[in-house]
Amino acid sequence: MTVRVTLAATFLGIALGLLGATARLSSFLPFRAIGGAYVGVIRGIPELLIVFLIYFGSSRLLMAIASWFGYHDYIELNPFIAGVIALGLTFGGYATEVFRGAFLAIHKGQTEAAQALGLSRFRVFFGIVLPQAWRIALPGLGNLILILMKDTALISVIGLEELTRKTSMVVNATREPFTWYLTAAVMYLGLTVITTTLLRYMEEQSRKHEHPTDAASSHLVKE
Amino acid sequence: MSQVPVALEVSNIHKRYGDLKVLRGISLQARDGDVLSIIGSSGSGKSTLLRCINLLEKPNKGSISVNGEVLKLKKKKGVLCPTDQKQLAKIRSRLGFVFQGFNLWQHKTVLENIMEAPVSVLKKNKREVEGFSESLLEKVGLADRRDYFPSQLSGGQQQRVAIARVLAMEPQVMLFDEPTSALDPELVGDVLGVMRSLAEEGRTMLIVTHEMKFAREVSDRVIFLHNGRIEEDGKPEEIFKKAKSKRCRKFLATAV
Repeated sequence: MTVRVTLAATFLGIALGLLGATARLSSFLPFRAIGGAYVGVIRGIPELLIVFLIYFGSSRLLMAIASWFGYHDYIELNPFIAGVIALGLTFGGYATEVFRGAFLAIHKGQTEAAQALGLSRFRVFFGIVLPQAWRIALPGLGNLILILMKDTALISVIGLEELTRKTSMVVNATREPFTWYLTAAVMYLGLTVITTTLLRYMEEQSRKHEHPTDAASSHLVKE
Repeated sequence: MSQVPVALEVSNIHKRYGDLKVLRGISLQARDGDVLSIIGSSGSGKSTLLRCINLLEKPNKGSISVNGEVLKLKKKKGVLCPTDQKQLAKIRSRLGFVFQGFNLWQHKTVLENIMEAPVSVLKKNKREVEGFSESLLEKVGLADRRDYFPSQLSGGQQQRVAIARVLAMEPQVMLFDEPTSALDPELVGDVLGVMRSLAEEGRTMLIVTHEMKFAREVSDRVIFLHNGRIEEDGKPEEIFKKAKSKRCRKFLATAV
């Protein structure tokens, strides 16, 4: 469950981060304002509160919408979805800044060359800018993913049975808190080690073209 | 002469940054096969002019047409903006732009750099483009570098790849923005050699350059820009030997 929440929130967060960074770098003032407000709010509120706000806020919102259609029972958002939204929003707020930095680091000439050849805006962004920004953003995103993975423990408070909540259930049953919390800690550590290894591999992949001598010689060997 | 079709026509281009007027009404015409060199001291507006022609820089006034097709522009907040993105892309794809800083895409190999635009803009068949791209690499003398990344090449090699990338679009006019200014002196010759052979093929070229010897030997016409205006426009021998303007004579005396 921890892994699933992490994965889903990462995808949501990366999408939001890309949108946020694009908005913050837009030449259109309202977009910049929205992007800025998003980052400001997310960074200014503790994650635990965001989880609560989404969980309880969304059920109120859903009930309000449902009552419009004449449905008056109590509705509650499933904790998994609420958790993914809350953590995804948080991730997105920080990822916005990571991506913004990455976009700014790309030389203007890269885009100009693409425009001058007549490439469409879509192609300029997805074919030229994003692959290069991705490479720059990866280390920062990796950090965020690891933080997110541990923040999933927060969702235990709204009743999602992820690693931390399961552990406390076991603790209640066995009355051996130290043993089981230590076990949970080791499991988190294991997950982060796996994630870190994966991230390192992704970084290496994205940096292939940055090692002139290696790549050149491997090319020569191939010939 | 007059029956040769006009490849590029710009008229009355004005460009200012705040209060600084960089271009004050530039008009020029290039017929098919013309090689025009634009010279002048730095700050005279040469690069800005070139960048205005394919709208990397938005002019405040003026019009641009390529092969008789007028670029549709509309004034917005004082600058001219394209009204038809598709037309802009089409016109840009006919104007090959070679940058001072090469601007090869760092994450793509040499071959991928060259193939990108013909495949994604002109929607050409990948295999055909690959063959054509290889022949272009051969032409610029870099056939053995097709799988290299830009960071593995010298400046001169990168600029020759950039030229091949532009040639892959089979442009009607090529715009060169100080193509050798960022190169080590010993690499300049290779790039100029490629440009010379392009001129000999009869390609239409606009070249902003500081290489006076090259401008003199290769161009059909030389244009001297000063303070955002064309101060001299004529055959190279006229300009280099008996320029009317004092400033132009002085510039040439110090530049050559």
